[in-house]
Order: sequence, then C-alpha cells, then structure tokens
Amino acid sequence: MVVLQNAVGWFLGLGSTVIVPIVLILLGLIFRVGLAKSIRGGVTVGVGLAGLFLIVDLIVAALQPAVAALATRMGLELALVDVNWADAGIAWGWPGVAALVFSIIIVNLIMVYFRLTKTLWTDVWSYWHGSALAGFVWALTGSVTWGVVGGVAYLILGSLMSDMTAKKYQEFNEMPGIGVPCGTTVQASIFAMPVVWVLDRIPGLKDWDASPEGIRKRFGLIGEPVILGLVLGMLIGIAAGYNVQGILGLGMQVATMLLVLPRMVSIISEGLVPITMSIVEFMRERFQDREIFVAVDCAVLLGHPAVMAASVIMFPLAILMAAVLPGVQMLPIASLAVIPFWAGAIVPYTRGNVIKTVIVLALYSIPFMYLATLTADVHTAAFANMGQFTAEIDAGLQLASWDMGGDPIGFVILNIFKALGFSL
Amino acid sequence: MGKLIVVACGAGINTSTVAEVMIRERLDEEGMDDVEVKRILIADIDKYVDRMDLVVCMMKIYREFDVPQLKGMPFLIGTKAEKKEVLDGIIELVKD
Repeated sequence: MVVLQNAVGWFLGLGSTVIVPIVLILLGLIFRVGLAKSIRGGVTVGVGLAGLFLIVDLIVAALQPAVAALATRMGLELALVDVNWADAGIAWGWPGVAALVFSIIIVNLIMVYFRLTKTLWTDVWSYWHGSALAGFVWALTGSVTWGVVGGVAYLILGSLMSDMTAKKYQEFNEMPGIGVPCGTTVQASIFAMPVVWVLDRIPGLKDWDASPEGIRKRFGLIGEPVILGLVLGMLIGIAAGYNVQGILGLGMQVATMLLVLPRMVSIISEGLVPITMSIVEFMRERFQDREIFVAVDCAVLLGHPAVMAASVIMFPLAILMAAVLPGVQMLPIASLAVIPFWAGAIVPYTRGNVIKTVIVLALYSIPFMYLATLTADVHTAAFANMGQFTAEIDAGLQLASWDMGGDPIGFVILNIFKALGFSL
Repeated sequence: MGKLIVVACGAGINTSTVAEVMIRERLDEEGMDDVEVKRILIADIDKYVDRMDLVVCMMKIYREFDVPQLKGMPFLIGTKAEKKEVLDGIIELVKD
C-alpha cells in the first residue's frame, strides 16, 4: 500500500507536462492510432501545455502589478488575474482527463443509441470545457471520481443544448448535419432566444442595424489581436500611472499574450488530432443511417461578417462594464478572446443584425463577470493542485476567467457539490 | 515556387489545425513536398489572395475567390471515405 502510494505520489510529482503525454500516448494506443503517431501527438500536447503555462507566467508577471496599481489608483476592486484559455491547461492536465474522455464517449453513445440526444459528440477538442469544469470539481472535492461525474454532467447538458440549437446553426451557416455543443458558446444561443424575441418587439430598435463591412473598415485594426493587445496594455499602463517606458512595455506584453496564448492552445489541439480523428471515425461509423447532429468546434460559427463587427464593439464595452459594475474583480483581457465565439452563436438568432448582437453580448457577459469572480477560489485551487504557479498562489495570486470560470452551468454544478457539503 | 493551399477558419485554433495536419500527411505520402499548407484566420485572407492556389474553408464564408474553394467540413466530421474524397480532390487540384 505504501509502495503504491509512493508510486502514485511519484507519478503525480512528474507534473502535468510529463503526465499528459504519457496518458495521451496510452489513449492513442487504445484508439489504435499507432505508436509513432501516439508519441508525436502526446509529446506535442505536452509541449503546448508547457507553452501555455509559460504565457500564463508572462501574463501574471506583467499584468498582476499593473492591474493592482490601476485598481488602487481608481479605487476599484480588481484582485483577480484573467488567464482565460489557460484553463485548457487544467482540462488536459488534471489527473482524471483520460477517465473523462472515456466516460463521455460511452455516455454519449448510450444516449444517442436510446435517442436521448441527436448530438454525437465527435468534437473531442471541445471536451475541454467539461474537463476544465471536472478539474474545478476535483479541486473542490479532492476526488477524481466526482470530477469526472461533474464533467460528464456538464457535457450531457451541452449535447441537449446542441439539440435545441443545431437546426438554426445548420440553416444559418449552411452546414447540414452539424451541431455545436461547446460550453459557453451554445449557452449564448439559449440566452439569445428570449432576448432576441424581446428586442424584435421594441419599436425603433426592431429595424436598427449597422453595416458589418463599415464597422470592419473603421474598427478593423482592433479586431487584430496584436493591435488590440497593444492598445489595451498601453491603456492599462496609463491608468496604472506607469511611465512611458512601462506603458510601452506593458502594451507589448499584452499584445504578445493575445497573439501567443491561442497559438499555444492550437499546439495542444494539433497534438490531439490523431486521437480525435480516430474517435470521430469510430463514432460516425456506428450511426450511419440515422439523423444525427455531428458535433463540431464552435469556430465554424465565425463566418458571418456581423460576428467580428459585433465583437470589436463589444471589446471596449466589456472592459468598461467590468470596471464600472460593482463587485466585479476581474478585468477581462485574455478573456476578450471568447467574445467572437459567443457572437457566432448569437448571430443566427439576430439574423446578422450587429446592434442586436452587441446588446445580447453585453447582457450575456454580465453573469460571466460575477461568476468568474465567485469561482476564483476553486479555479486557483485547481491550478495549485496541479502544481502550477504554487509560489505565486501562496503569495496571494488569484486566477479567473470567463470561459470556464464564468460559465453559468459550470457554476451551478460546482454549487451542487458545495450543497453536498464539499468545500475547499 | 510551389503551390500554396490556404486553410481558413474563424479562430485558427482547432478546426483549421485538424485540416492542416491531415492535408500535410497526405502531401507527404504523395511526395509532394513543394506544396505549402498555410493555416490562417479568415480575416487575414487578403494577404494571401494573390499567391494562393486553393482555399479550404472550415466554415461558410461570404466571399468568392479566383481560385478553387473547397469545404473542409469532412476533415472535422467525416468518415474515412469522406475524408479521402476531399483529400483526393485537393491532390487533383494542386497536381500539375
């Protein structure tokens, strides 16, 4: 027993950037990807993970003092550092990730077989939303099993929401047969349904629109991560009372972060491709003759010109709202990157109307601002449990994000576990 | 200069990565190592319109180009046969 405990302790002590490749190589072999491809894929994911954590180090080192100085000067309560998609690091790095992947495949196949859902969860990448939540639940309960249960519950709800939205996505984006069960994206559609119904009945607003092309031409630069990052970083530097050197430096660091963070996430994705492909083929070949919605990544929703037009208006608005709304403790910076995905899920319901899309986005982001603040403790504990940023966390660093930290359904699931008596 | 295949998607994180990896693998198998595959954001496509030979789109796009345009959706959700069909089409188009 002691030997086993020591062995487990030694294994976990390797850290997620070593554990994850090992787990993924095993997964690859189980899904018959082949040894060479499994090794290359697994190691690539580990590299992406390591890169992701490097960028988070940079974010923390650059932004934490700046946001703290800004908060003190302006009398705001901004104590949390926004890490946004670094949560993919929790998702693919927490100890239960392999168990979660198996569980959701099995549960989904059973649900599709008994016609409880039409969504066949082929989008392995998007398991990360459930897996990140599972990591939070693991941090809260100390149990890998509960983590898997929480993550699977989240992903089941995702496939049910995908059933409700799939037809609309297919029609608007002209992609027959798809469904999008991704985390906070599909929830944005569910949220948009009643809100757009109301907006369509407000006289004056009903037919008000702005041309997406005009907005893109005027604000187009803001839609580019490096420019958005540079401007944002410099503005934060100015508000924090930095000197010119500090302002320019922070501008470059935030620009670096907004460009490089998604690139690192894409390295993780690249490493997962072989496993993903073999799971897709495995699942598709089982349900050839039935109407199913084949799950795809939410990126397929980003085609309409209104998506980026609404997003560039929402970027500054979101920051302003976070600064003004009382009790919100995270200034969204890295998290702004999720806005276009939400816009992509809203646009089919607003039929490409930019103004209405911005209104829905603004309303939808409010709960995220508060929930990201409320889940920061569990979120930070999940990183600490994985052995990441322990020194900084001991020194009082708290991490937050909109996507997954602000996720409404994730919040409900976490609170069910809290109601069952679990606490940090 | 070799041919250029542009794989365009909305975010440049996951969907276009899947297509890029699979197209590269197939090009390797065919020994067509002078064909370049570039994964881009759809917003950046203007930088490539002059020199690309083929566009693979991972989503619906609201533009026309002078070069052939293929739908990349089978890379994400296709069965083996469906993927092979798109890959065959790509090879046919970039082959001289």
